Amino acid sequence: MAPATPEAEAHQALIEQIDIHQIPKPFRNSHWKPNQRRNKNIKTILGDAVRKEASLMPTQDNSGIATPAADDFDTSTDGDSTPANSTPASTLQPNLAQASRNLSKLVLERNMRSNGFSTAPNATYTNIESAPSLAHPRHYCDITGLSAPYTDPKTRLRYHDKEIFGVIRTLGQGVAEQYLEARGAHTVLK
Amino acid sequence: MAPSAIDPSTQASDPQISAPPPQLYTPRELHFERYLASQPDGYRQARSRGPERAAIVIDNGSSETRAGWSFENAPRLNITPIFSKYRDRKIGKAFSFVGADVYADTTAKGHMRNAFEAGSGIVSNWDVMESILDYVFIKLGINGSNGGIDMPIVMTEAVANLPYSRKSMTEIVFECYSAPSLAYGIDSLFSYDYNNGKTGLVVSSSHSSTHLIPVLNSKALLTQATRLNWGGSQSAEYLLKLIRLKYPTFPGKLNSSQMEYMIRDHCYLSRDYDQELSTYLDWTGLEDRDHVIQFPYTEEVIIQKSEEELARIAEKRKESGRRLQEQAAKMRLEKLIRKEQELDYYRDLQSKISNESKKESKRLLDAEDMKDEAALERTIKELDRSIRKARTKDVGGPEIEEEVEEPDFSLLEVPDEQLDEAGIKQKRHQRLMKSNHEARARAKAEKEKEKARVAEEQRADEEKRENDLEGWLQERRNARADLVQKVKDRERLKADLGNRKSLASQNRMKSIANLASDNPTKKRRRGNDDDNFGANDDDWGVYRQIATGEGSDDEEEEDLGASLKTLEADLLKYDPDFTDQHTLDAQTDWTKSLVHAFLRGPRPFDPGSQAEAHQLHLNVERIRVPEVIFQPSIAGLDQAGIVEIAADILTHRLNGIAPQQDFLRDIFLTGGNSLFSSFDERLREGLRAQLPAEMEIKTRRAKDPVLDAWKGAAKWAGGAKWKAAAVSKEEYFEKGAEYMKEHDLGNAYS
Repeated sequence: MAPATPEAEAHQALIEQIDIHQIPKPFRNSHWKPNQRRNKNIKTILGDAVRKEASLMPTQDNSGIATPAADDFDTSTDGDSTPANSTPASTLQPNLAQASRNLSKLVLERNMRSNGFSTAPNATYTNIESAPSLAHPRHYCDITGLSAPYTDPKTRLRYHDKEIFGVIRTLGQGVAEQYLEARGAHTVLK
Repeated sequence: MAPSAIDPSTQASDPQISAPPPQLYTPRELHFERYLASQPDGYRQARSRGPERAAIVIDNGSSETRAGWSFENAPRLNITPIFSKYRDRKIGKAFSFVGADVYADTTAKGHMRNAFEAGSGIVSNWDVMESILDYVFIKLGINGSNGGIDMPIVMTEAVANLPYSRKSMTEIVFECYSAPSLAYGIDSLFSYDYNNGKTGLVVSSSHSSTHLIPVLNSKALLTQATRLNWGGSQSAEYLLKLIRLKYPTFPGKLNSSQMEYMIRDHCYLSRDYDQELSTYLDWTGLEDRDHVIQFPYTEEVIIQKSEEELARIAEKRKESGRRLQEQAAKMRLEKLIRKEQELDYYRDLQSKISNESKKESKRLLDAEDMKDEAALERTIKELDRSIRKARTKDVGGPEIEEEVEEPDFSLLEVPDEQLDEAGIKQKRHQRLMKSNHEARARAKAEKEKEKARVAEEQRADEEKRENDLEGWLQERRNARADLVQKVKDRERLKADLGNRKSLASQNRMKSIANLASDNPTKKRRRGNDDDNFGANDDDWGVYRQIATGEGSDDEEEEDLGASLKTLEADLLKYDPDFTDQHTLDAQTDWTKSLVHAFLRGPRPFDPGSQAEAHQLHLNVERIRVPEVIFQPSIAGLDQAGIVEIAADILTHRLNGIAPQQDFLRDIFLTGGNSLFSSFDERLREGLRAQLPAEMEIKTRRAKDPVLDAWKGAAKWAGGAKWKAAAVSKEEYFEKGAEYMKEHDLGNAYS
């Protein structure tokens, strides 16, 4: 059993008080059984999405062969390309982007176009990420953060002056790599 | 020379003595505060208003989950989105904690999990998310009398949230909590809306990321939105990395929560980064720029003894010393008495022998293990001498000069033929004695000579100094330079030996291999099998060469240091150009060291002090960490900085959609990471440099960059737009988990 010192008892009491495991939660649906494998990181989610899209493609393709007029939905109503041109091309070489679309997506896209932003693609988690900088990056000392006019050819560390260089030369094994990692310039072995 | 603490003009010989003790800051971190009771009054009020005019508003941010009622003006709950669940095996009971409660117990702390994926605003752990929602509903006092949450829910989500993520959340809200309706929105847009923004550029720098979203006529242009993967959490991780590298042997425990507080309390955005950086470690004003964080430590206790105690201890020691002395004296006395008895006995024996016949005397001597009378004589003499010595020592009589008689070398002249066997032995002994004696005399003479030589040298030296001071000084200077070079060479060698690939190390390995091998390569090559290793004294140097590490060259080092000291002392005395500042000690002094200024600030460092060992000095980091958002390459983030993104959006991507000027008139800052005081100024000045001069640029901050997202959502929740955007439970069951309604402040379907 737990030691019965007053502090320990007080602590135990506090823990019992803030614990939410024992508190009844009547607002929860008792039949709610979540998917055991629902916890996914971003990488997995994005990977799954790509795979799903890829697996949709052949089925669309097949259905397109069975009913050749099916994917004309887009082009025929738009009127900016003739169905005569697009139909044989799409059956021979399926348009990947089009193939993965489902109905609701197409409808939404149509709505978007009516708003006047027809050229822009949808905003997704990946494509709103900022692009690499075009500006020339300034160099800063890896040790102190001051301006760094020099680079040590051996460790590839940037440094401020000869005293810092002395420090670099006395760094232990692997420390230089850690400094590089802080700048994202370390070597990654795969 | 780069500007640094080495500027001598700003520095007296010892400016730091007058420096006041540093102001110490204590580290802060997330901790358990108090138990939060359930607040059912809000729920009662909501029930009375009805689900048309009340909603639960949850700002589901990665730094904090803020939850409350739409009809109130502030969230009731601020919870860190962490959760901990463990089973106490002793009492067979499971515990779950949410938010800061996790920090109340160490075991719970060990099982802590975050709802969000590290460094992003995307929920990745749904068990944790569910528990957090449980906690929210418990604390909001919802009793579930209608079987579920009977109030609409308004929730914020990340910009361009992943469809899977949204679907999971929707499922939970409708399936698990049976909420009547749910609406999502983007936090920064809520904040903008709350601050009456219509058209402008929303810059939201928050815990996990920074977003720039142009808004036109209250509608977000999400396709032009841009995310920079840098926010408060990344800053904290970066600072943690820097501190760990700066103090690799720091004894205290460091975590990113402390770093978050440090950034909040000590870091600031520099107005002109490069300019400020160039003088950051300069001596002047370093006291103000250097912030010292004092971590808790325990001082090594040195027990101070009182005067009385010390006296008693000394007395005790003296007492025991006396006792020992007495014992020794007693023993000596006993020994003396025994010796005297022996002496008497031998004397007696001697007199007896002299009277006895030869045969009888031989018998007596044999009984005493003596060879002959001479031996007896010697024994007696020895005994006599030792007794006399002991007595003088004991009684304290006058020291008797040890008579160094010229030993008897008489036999050496006598040819061997004339001696009997005993004589020859005696002669050999005498020869040995003689060579011994002569060697001693020689050594003495040599010593005298050496002394004379040193005296002569000193005299010549002095003479030279008096006659040719300049030459003499030059000599000293050269000698000193040589020594300094030697010290440096040694340091370099030592450093080189640390590197496996250096020439020095390779030579060393070669020597070791050579020594270990049975037939050393060099010898064999010469075809000379005779191993004369050691004949030359230098041969042994190889062992010094291969020894590294502790104590390998301590003696010599001491020696170099000592001779350098004497040389410098001479120079100090006689050379007017050589001052205290020129000595090697002064040049390697900490006041000259940039590294010292960086690591330990403007005050001397005492390696023995526990307090100082537990101190962190924040100086360059104070501006280095916040700067990353403007120059992400500092932290190795391969993305454009916030100014570059804003300029790109304004000058290129919004072309043809609306006039640039409309957006520039309202650049809106929100989010906890935008709290740095000159954030708006930096952004404005950065944009000014990239845009035509006639453009008018106006920046403004949210009234409350942290809470306005929640407030905006609460305000929105009552209105008509909310009613149009909310997805009801019926719609969910009819149209599926991925069904959503787009609105001005929310994400678009993708």
